[in-house]
Amino acid sequence: MITRRNLLAAAAGTAAFAAILPRMAFSQEITEKSVFYDPDAPVLGNPKGDVTVVEFFDYQCPYCKKIHPMVEKVVREDGNVRLVLKDWPVFGGASIFAAQAVLGAAQIGKYEPAMEALMKTTGKLTEEEVEKALTSTGLTMQEIAAAVNKHSAKISGLLDRNYSQALAFNFAGTPSFVIGRTTFAGVLDEKGLKGAIAEARAA
Amino acid sequence: MRFFLSASCFLATIAVSAVALAIETPLPMDQAFRMEAGRDGSDIAIRWQLEDGYYLYREYLSVTGVGGKPLEMATPPGVIKEDPGYGSTEVYYGTATATVAGPVTGSLNVTYQGCQDGGLCYPPTTVEIDAATLEPKSDTGKSGLQTALQSQAAFPLVSKAPKAADSSSIRISDQSTNGVVGSLLDRGGVLFLIVGFLGLGVLLAFTPCVFPMYPILAATLTREGESLSTGRGFALSSTYVLALAAAFSLFGVVAAWWGQSFQIALQSTTATLLVAAIFVALALSSFGLFELQLPSFLRNRVAAHRGGSLMSSAALGFSSALVIGPCVTAPLAGALLYIAQTGDVVLGATALFALGVGKGIPLILMGTFGSGLLPRAGQWMERVRQVFGFLFVATAVWLVDRLLPAGAGLLLWSVLAITFAVFIGAFDQMRPEAGGAARLAKSAGMLAGLYGVILGIGGLSGATDPLKPLATIAAARSGDATPARVIGKDSFQSIASAADLSSLLKADGPAAPTLVYFTADWCVTCRVIERSVLPDATVADALDGVRLVSVDLSEITEANQSLMKELQVVGPPTMLFLDRDNQEVQDTRLVGEITADTVTVSASSAKGQLR
Repeated sequence: MITRRNLLAAAAGTAAFAAILPRMAFSQEITEKSVFYDPDAPVLGNPKGDVTVVEFFDYQCPYCKKIHPMVEKVVREDGNVRLVLKDWPVFGGASIFAAQAVLGAAQIGKYEPAMEALMKTTGKLTEEEVEKALTSTGLTMQEIAAAVNKHSAKISGLLDRNYSQALAFNFAGTPSFVIGRTTFAGVLDEKGLKGAIAEARAA
Repeated sequence: MRFFLSASCFLATIAVSAVALAIETPLPMDQAFRMEAGRDGSDIAIRWQLEDGYYLYREYLSVTGVGGKPLEMATPPGVIKEDPGYGSTEVYYGTATATVAGPVTGSLNVTYQGCQDGGLCYPPTTVEIDAATLEPKSDTGKSGLQTALQSQAAFPLVSKAPKAADSSSIRISDQSTNGVVGSLLDRGGVLFLIVGFLGLGVLLAFTPCVFPMYPILAATLTREGESLSTGRGFALSSTYVLALAAAFSLFGVVAAWWGQSFQIALQSTTATLLVAAIFVALALSSFGLFELQLPSFLRNRVAAHRGGSLMSSAALGFSSALVIGPCVTAPLAGALLYIAQTGDVVLGATALFALGVGKGIPLILMGTFGSGLLPRAGQWMERVRQVFGFLFVATAVWLVDRLLPAGAGLLLWSVLAITFAVFIGAFDQMRPEAGGAARLAKSAGMLAGLYGVILGIGGLSGATDPLKPLATIAAARSGDATPARVIGKDSFQSIASAADLSSLLKADGPAAPTLVYFTADWCVTCRVIERSVLPDATVADALDGVRLVSVDLSEITEANQSLMKELQVVGPPTMLFLDRDNQEVQDTRLVGEITADTVTVSASSAKGQLR
């Protein structure tokens, strides 16, 4: 499926890659495996799906939270999509706190409830509000803290990789997506997301 | 598209979508928010021109001066952006301004953050502006990304959560399955773990805690008398070691299972007196006062006399575990924490058993090959038995010492040394034709007698250390002319509870790294550390500027026990290194055998020095 548009877009992507080369010096190698199949990143949707949707997001980014139910709905209805939410905390301390806490919860098998609870919060968050959202799911901060402390190297490593990848893709902010061989900066609507999945599947 | 898939670099195959977005492709940040700085009298006014459909957050605007000091800044009220269900925030559309009160010198860092309405939120960007020219510094275009990286590298959290859980706000580093058990398991499974612990045990066999085992076993073997052969020596010493290892793993499991307090219970007065009594009984039997045997009804059931002495060897091994049990070593601590955290009792117990057997391997070698060297009969053998009798009494005194008031222990040692001198014949008349051995024995006896006298004087003058019986007298003479900085037990500020620790950490003004040292009078290894590691000059250098805190576990209280639990400390000796933020520095905790080198290395990483 080599269309003119695809070729142009790919050329633009290649140019973008060349432009960010100097910045890549500090980042680790970005491979298909590290973006789609990071072993430490939790996977939602169908883990065996043929298309992977990667979303870079922040728990304080209003648009990330706004489109989240739609993203989940599309993934669920498709049934053959892996969804990987990559924390890219751009809103400071509370975002980092939230990201670490949810990834800690993931280590004790509570990723989805913790993530969903934070996705349901409104706008800006304080650490207290993050704690409130997490404890509303029945988790205690003690067990989350224990999990985060126990796996701190793993969690920090994942967040660092997410960060390097977001930079390597030259993303301007959150949300941003990698679907198949295409990147999308900013929100997608339902039609756009479905189209991107279909295109990735066809490629 | 296939053509691009074959490219070697994944990134090169990635295309930027131009069409599928629900909204316009977001602009690069410096185009979406165009910043400029101007002067307003002595104040500096920073203005942003915002593209349509982009906004800046009021609360994320900040200006810092030289050294990161926040500068006073005035911003006009913004628009309240209400998003049903998504809360309200105060933002600017069109233009935004921030006025920094002057005069400002040097340079200032302006940080701002915004979003494309309905589309994308940018990471914060920081631009450095020269206060004189009001021009942005050349290389600051990409600084937003750098800032984000820094804030991420400094992850504040990990910590924040346990705040609710513990009062001292100290964060301990990961003590979990990454420990010695987990890493051995990861590397080669259960077999590797067992072999590993065997090996660690052998290494620990030559530490002060295990030393008492050698005379105890030797004494057991001499009680065999004429029937002692190499095979017999092997049988007896292996029985002893297996019983010791079994007891060791049993105590370990119970300790981990019941919480770590059980291990401390082994140090209780009752347990100590009981074990001391066993050793006194052994001593009396060695002196020939009575024949120590199992009760007759038991003896008859155990096939023969031989079986009986195997049984007593096993019983002795079992009770010997009480002597080495409280000696905390890194592998022991690792195994106990592993059991407590994973609940995997079988594996933990196996590891401890292997550790115990490892500690006993040199004992078995000694028992097997040393048996040939011991005298079989005659007057010599009586002498050897008596010497070992004294070793039993010495073990008992060593055990009881910690229960006695300061100085009393030294008097007991004095009595023991003098009695030994008498028994070995220091005060017997020696005939001129006496042989070399007799003369050596006599001089040994004389030395023991002399030592006993000195110990007695030391004990009466209040000294407590048998190796420095005249310390108090020497100190009184030299006055307080202390030499250069030498670290001893007194250099540490003693605390007894988690509350003490947190108030201590809070009270002290400037932030400093902290060493928390868990010690106890009954901890042999701790004495070695206090005697030969802490006074080392390199250690004094390394600990310069480090706050020294000690927790004395000689007496176990509820408070220090809960502190141990909180900090996941299994027992003394343990050293914890906290950095300036009171967070334990990863990989610096020292348990068990501690040397000047390990202290130096841990202390410098706690200070944040590069090694």
